[in-house]
Amino acid sequence: MNVHFKLTAALLEDAIADLRRPHPFAAERAGFIGCKAAACRGGALVLAHTYIPLPDDWYLDDPRFGCVFSADAMRAAMQFALTNDASMFHVHLHDYRGVPWFSRPDLRESSKFVPDFWNVKPDLPHGTLVLSADAAAGLCWYPRQKSPLRISRITALGFPTRFVGRVE
Amino acid sequence: MSGIYSRQSFLGKDSATLFREIRTGVVGLGGGGSHIAQQLAHIGVGRLAIFDPDFADFPNLNRTVGMTFADAVSKSPKVVVAERMIKSINPDAEVWSIQDDWQSDFQALRACDIVFGCIDGFSGRAQLEESCRRAMIPLIDIGMDVHKDDPYSISGQVVVSMPGRPCFRCVGFIRQKDLDDEGRRYGEAGGNPQVVWANGTLASTAVGLFVQMVTPWCRIRPGSAFVGYDGDGFTLEHDMRLTVTGKNPCEHFERIADLGDPFWKA
Repeated sequence: MNVHFKLTAALLEDAIADLRRPHPFAAERAGFIGCKAAACRGGALVLAHTYIPLPDDWYLDDPRFGCVFSADAMRAAMQFALTNDASMFHVHLHDYRGVPWFSRPDLRESSKFVPDFWNVKPDLPHGTLVLSADAAAGLCWYPRQKSPLRISRITALGFPTRFVGRVE
Repeated sequence: MSGIYSRQSFLGKDSATLFREIRTGVVGLGGGGSHIAQQLAHIGVGRLAIFDPDFADFPNLNRTVGMTFADAVSKSPKVVVAERMIKSINPDAEVWSIQDDWQSDFQALRACDIVFGCIDGFSGRAQLEESCRRAMIPLIDIGMDVHKDDPYSISGQVVVSMPGRPCFRCVGFIRQKDLDDEGRRYGEAGGNPQVVWANGTLASTAVGLFVQMVTPWCRIRPGSAFVGYDGDGFTLEHDMRLTVTGKNPCEHFERIADLGDPFWKA
């Protein structure tokens, strides 16, 4: 099972620009991407449509973590999923060059909140992405799979079309 | 086999790996699609999905690259001809040969990173673009026509439909009037006239746009492309319609409901 995540280069630029903005107290920002899913030979496509930034007051001041978002953020993301029949992908940025990966707290917390999206959209894949300045990686919670799948390909479409995350 | 791609190493240090891993679709294996399949094999594209329901015949021999007289005699499927040609150049290529209309195997089409559309007619193009947009696949369309114009003139175009950017309707390449008039507009010089040199020019331009899209070799980043071909004056020029509309977002495929499977189930 291969999961291929696609987004436009413009959406990727918008997300990175938002995630780079300093926050009054949080060390890093997060957002959500509303997506659709499609079947393809050998796996599935996750197709990004809307980047959802989090307003400053949806962050909680917790110095143990770079970023903790409030219940308002989850509520807004869940509402988007419900209204648009959408897959939801959490996204944050490790602002260096090279292939990023999730920290241990990222993995622990993602495994708690990402499956919550199945409460509103149980048949759709949901997940989390980590971006760097020039690459990306992701995990996808796929319906009826016990463990999250590593996203095998992340493509930013445009001129140039960049394969920012590749695991073949 | 080392050194096969040494003369194109300027495309980027990872270009050979990229071409080996990328999956391209070629829809239609006539005069345009056969040229494109051959060039993709030459540059090292390692995964192809080729679609065509038709069989070789004598009227194809004037332009179909790789087709032999024996193929026309035996009525070989065009996908068999194309796969044989691709593998004669790149034996390691993985080729999905779909001897049917592309609509018969949506899932193979959707697995493609980039699709070349080499089909006749506006309604077929519109359907292919909609399916590519739904799976966020860049589509590079080529087409030529011979017009009866004292006595004849040849023209054609290469148009890119990039997700998030103007579509064929936005740039005026496909208009409702064209769809309505299609039957009357085509074939004025007799049975979808096609010639190998014009097909080759358009196919080479399409493959050039593909390489420009996925490798960092060129500083020009057009965002999209609409190139018109004047087959009488032997010129290629950017179509002004894209210049006018190119900065606007697409109005026809902008909704989230335009993406993915409407009733998707894992």
